[in-house]
Amino acid sequence: MVRVRLKDVTKRFGSVVAVESVDLEIENGEFFFLLGPSGCGKTTLLRTVAGFYRPERGRVFFDDRDVTEVPPEKRNTGMVFQNYALWPHMTVWQNVEYGLSMRDIAHGNRTDRVRRALQMVRMEAYRDRSPNQLSGGQQQRVALARALVIEPDVVLLDEPLSNLDARLRLEMREQIQALHRSLGITMVYVTHDQKEALAMASRIAVMRAGRVVQSGSPRTLYSQPANRFVADFIGEINLISGKVILLEKRIGVETPVGVLYGRPGYDGIRKNDRVLCAIRPEAMEFFAGTPGEADHVVTGTVRNAIYLGEMEQYVVDLPGGTQVKLVDSHPLIQKAIPGDRVRIRFARDAISILRDDGEDTA
Amino acid sequence: MVKTLLDRYDLTWSRILFLAGLSAFFVFFLFYPLWYAVVRALWVNGEISLVFFELMAGNPVYKEMILNSFRLGMFTTIATTLLSLPIAFLLVRYDFKGKNILNGLILVPMVLPPFVGAIGMKQMFARFGSINLLLLELGIVDQPIDWFGGGFTGVVILQVLHLYPIMFLNVAAALSNIDPSLEEAARNMGARGFRLFRSVTFPLMLPGYFAGAIIVFIWAFTDLGTPLIFNYRQVVMVEIFNAISDINENPMAYALVVFLLLLTVLFFYLSKLMLGKRQYETVARGHVGSATRRASPGMTAFIYSVMISLTAIALIPHLSVFLTSISERWFMAIWPQEITGKYYPLVYRHPIAGPSITMSLMLSSLSTVCDVVLGISIAYLLARTRVPFRGALDAVAMLPLALPGPVLAFGYLAGYSGTFLDARHNPVPLLVIAYAVRRLPYMVRSAYAGFQQTSVSLEEAARNMGASPLRATLQITFPLILANLVAGAILCFSFAMLEVSDSLILALKAQYYPITKAIYALMGRIADGPYIASAMGILGMLLLMLSLFLAGRFLGRRMGELFRT
Repeated sequence: MVRVRLKDVTKRFGSVVAVESVDLEIENGEFFFLLGPSGCGKTTLLRTVAGFYRPERGRVFFDDRDVTEVPPEKRNTGMVFQNYALWPHMTVWQNVEYGLSMRDIAHGNRTDRVRRALQMVRMEAYRDRSPNQLSGGQQQRVALARALVIEPDVVLLDEPLSNLDARLRLEMREQIQALHRSLGITMVYVTHDQKEALAMASRIAVMRAGRVVQSGSPRTLYSQPANRFVADFIGEINLISGKVILLEKRIGVETPVGVLYGRPGYDGIRKNDRVLCAIRPEAMEFFAGTPGEADHVVTGTVRNAIYLGEMEQYVVDLPGGTQVKLVDSHPLIQKAIPGDRVRIRFARDAISILRDDGEDTA
Repeated sequence: MVKTLLDRYDLTWSRILFLAGLSAFFVFFLFYPLWYAVVRALWVNGEISLVFFELMAGNPVYKEMILNSFRLGMFTTIATTLLSLPIAFLLVRYDFKGKNILNGLILVPMVLPPFVGAIGMKQMFARFGSINLLLLELGIVDQPIDWFGGGFTGVVILQVLHLYPIMFLNVAAALSNIDPSLEEAARNMGARGFRLFRSVTFPLMLPGYFAGAIIVFIWAFTDLGTPLIFNYRQVVMVEIFNAISDINENPMAYALVVFLLLLTVLFFYLSKLMLGKRQYETVARGHVGSATRRASPGMTAFIYSVMISLTAIALIPHLSVFLTSISERWFMAIWPQEITGKYYPLVYRHPIAGPSITMSLMLSSLSTVCDVVLGISIAYLLARTRVPFRGALDAVAMLPLALPGPVLAFGYLAGYSGTFLDARHNPVPLLVIAYAVRRLPYMVRSAYAGFQQTSVSLEEAARNMGASPLRATLQITFPLILANLVAGAILCFSFAMLEVSDSLILALKAQYYPITKAIYALMGRIADGPYIASAMGILGMLLLMLSLFLAGRFLGRRMGELFRT
């Protein structure tokens, strides 16, 4: 098990910059996620850690060892490929055993370890099958066993669940998490599925266009996104634009719906900055009573209501042309119909104030 | 500087060396021979001159030859089209029991070089051959019929029967690649029957059809063996062949070779020009209804009867060669007067036939080894690396597929005359190289397909598990593409064994005759010559059948891909 550090890593393909000046520290035993839309460079970064790419600039460290020039076969990483990459001309057993035979492990010991690895992923009954005779989920588990059997310093997973159907994906999520807990091994996991990342990660780095835009725990990223991109990419969010008018313990922003108070989402916030007040749909609710001193309450008109089973989503037009979404979880009855005038209360401390850089969403 | 270049292109010193060697090989054995012919045709008395081309255009003899060759090409192309299109429709669009067998049956006629088939056909259809004698005896005709139309019809028939499978493979592939929803959309708009075919289906097949038509046309235009056997000598290729004996005195042959070369270039250029903007991406998206439908019992019977009678007709040359090979005597008689098996053992003992088998085996083995080594390396560079000039490498490696074989062979003979490679002294090195260059595309294609079908991540997974690059290639990729490599090697070997034009042109001494040249030489002898030649043809045919069968087993359905441009 190692701590993985990337220092100022840049990787180009021809004139295309895939990864630019990335600094990352992945702690020993951490379940670290690289999250971002396709083409953001997350897989490139993972393959750089595995040794398949040599960065043009920057270094890769496993603990204090500089592995930048070390070829993939000497890095002792266990990689799970997106398409599993099980060798079709070998049985399940031979696939898992391969890494051990490369390491000249004695035969008896080897058999023992392969068996344990297959047991770990509950695939020992399929040991003599060929990969072609396995379902997607089973192939996935064999690929995991193959990566784990060599007792790697770090496990690298490249969108391992993206080829599975929704139900299986949930099941495998739990299995991989359980494996991580019991083995305590450092894992780096690449995905574009923000739900997967939120559910499994101990820490996430959100990437965009080759750069890491924010890293932190799932809770931090969700509740305190550093910018509009992260806010948009992880979960749904409402953005109300305005101007900073008050700089105290909380920040006051003048918006078309009134003055909103929130936490600064970036450093060096100044008066008169153009900003966005970001608030999650589930941090808003319909409100009927008398608002208290500290309550944010705004009035609007319901435009649309969408029933989704576990929740109901309302789209509400606010003054000044702003539109927000709010969700009602556990919707036993429909609380408003299009055209209704409603009052909305924002939950306390739910607003993050982000720089309005004028960029579009992801 | 060098380092950035190395990084940018995945270059290593060994790859640079290999690329340099490969370039030299292609320069010496692909471009130089062609260049030599061009120079000899255009460089007259120290200046560039078109005098030979003027002669070609002005002299009625040459005009007649060129016209004849064109007619051969045209008629053969039209006939193969008319034959292949309907059967492609039947076999692609209908599902029925035994479809795979019929698909395989189509390829069967290819196992005999047409000029060998011609030997048997002459026996059957000559002025006093079996068919005419039978008709005379039955009183249906009172004058023997001239079946071969002075040789021309005979050549066309043999070529059509040999080439329609190639046309079929191209047309069928084009047809099955059409996104069914495009035809469905046309039907939705009210098109049906021939109109649907003319307005939507055929235009979509056009790129594939052209590819096939060009191969067939060039093949027919530059066929040497069949016109020789039918004694239809007023064609370009035969004239070039005749000129070999006085190659240093008569520069007209060079001009004709250059003419062939230009014609080929023109054809491929025209097809690019016409089709360049018409490469249809017909990737199916979403739900795709199947374009095939189940054939009714009546339809199935119809398809079977069409296919079986077609194959039966296409196999008449094979049958007649076989009959010739087992006849004791067969002269002015409907059937062989006596049956014998004595010519088969004679094949091995005959002073020309026997050594030719050994010679062919040696030449083909050597050229196959060259093809395997070069083919795998080139395919690897193309599929797995970013070396510079990959586009050019691909084009050059595929070039021999488009180039008329006799042109290259002639270039070898002329270009290396007087050097240590002179074919007149010892044709072995040049024959090996000619065989290898001509079949290289098959090997590159097979290996390339293998690399393409084998995900790189399989090899990466092995590296990740601790295997060195070499070990990962040997243990993971190699076993996975072995079938492709074996199939490619079998094809290279068997086509080399029955290669015609290189052998006829380059092997000038009896001691160096390969099988096909020996067959040709024996044909010219009276007495037992034709019988032994036929027996050799049958043996060769069996070899090729076996090879194709084996290659098919290894390659499965992808076999057809090897015969398309």
